[in-house]
Amino acid sequence: MRDRICAGRGTRPSSDLMPEPVLPTILLVEDTFSDAALIRRSFEKANVLNPIVWVKNGQEALGYLSGLGQYGDRNQYPLPALILLDLDLPEMTGFELLQWKRMQPNIRRIPAVILTMDSATSAVNAAYDLGANSYLIKPGNPEEIMRVVKIIQEYWLGLNQAPKLVMRATPDAS
Amino acid sequence: MVDGPVLLVEDDVSDYRLIQRAFAKIKPFVPMIRLAHGDEAVDYLAGDGPYENRSLHPVPCVLLLDIKLPRRSGFEVLEWIRAQDSELRRIPIIMLTSSGHQADVNRAYELGVNSYLVKPSNSSELEHLVSAFRTYWLELNEGPNLCG
Repeated sequence: MRDRICAGRGTRPSSDLMPEPVLPTILLVEDTFSDAALIRRSFEKANVLNPIVWVKNGQEALGYLSGLGQYGDRNQYPLPALILLDLDLPEMTGFELLQWKRMQPNIRRIPAVILTMDSATSAVNAAYDLGANSYLIKPGNPEEIMRVVKIIQEYWLGLNQAPKLVMRATPDAS
Repeated sequence: MVDGPVLLVEDDVSDYRLIQRAFAKIKPFVPMIRLAHGDEAVDYLAGDGPYENRSLHPVPCVLLLDIKLPRRSGFEVLEWIRAQDSELRRIPIIMLTSSGHQADVNRAYELGVNSYLVKPSNSSELEHLVSAFRTYWLELNEGPNLCG
């Protein structure tokens, strides 16, 4: 089986200059348990080994991104390299999270990809206006979801040049 | 799924040829408009001067934007687009540049870029990048629906 992501994980000897970086984290903000489970399973089946943190609403995502409470430990709860965001969420919607995020120094740079069933033009436009980086429609069947998560991983965690984030644990971050 | 056009803002002729060649290899065909200056990109998007006729000069679905451009830089074009009152402000903008400097990457995200790609140094990697770009931005991504 071809598995180039796996080959790079933990098997390479550490560089002399810095410790082997762990794979970037994906923050999945999704209120529907079955959807979240399906997306996580699809990532696994697509051999995406990046850690996926699942939170159930915008409020929890805000807590994670701000490092509130237990999330203050950035070694255990690192800032994500990518946010996958549903829009219709309880307590704090995806739109409200985007609105909050764009006001936060540092965090506002993290790419946010909308992953939703809502294909209404008004939702798409509002998401872009609030700074969403991309807008994807959640496919209805598992095969399509697997294809989409694979493309997400290859594009956003492979090809795309990520912003540098200031982690509390990194003293030389600029 | 949209079929373009893609607006490429790239002043370097040899880079443009390489990118054009990579696009020519992917199917289905993606129509591309190429402009060499930041000022031209702004005029084109605004529909000013020679670009008034929208049937000849359609609004692009996606922008591929270099940073180092004569007259108006890619950052200035990006800033201008995001500051528009019209729906133009929502156009997906992807930086395609040889600069992988972290300061440039961060600045682009701060100014509201959708994604940032670094030009690969060899043509097979460029073909891979162009093909992934097409799959993601023209096939998968739901755009703001103002192009064509």
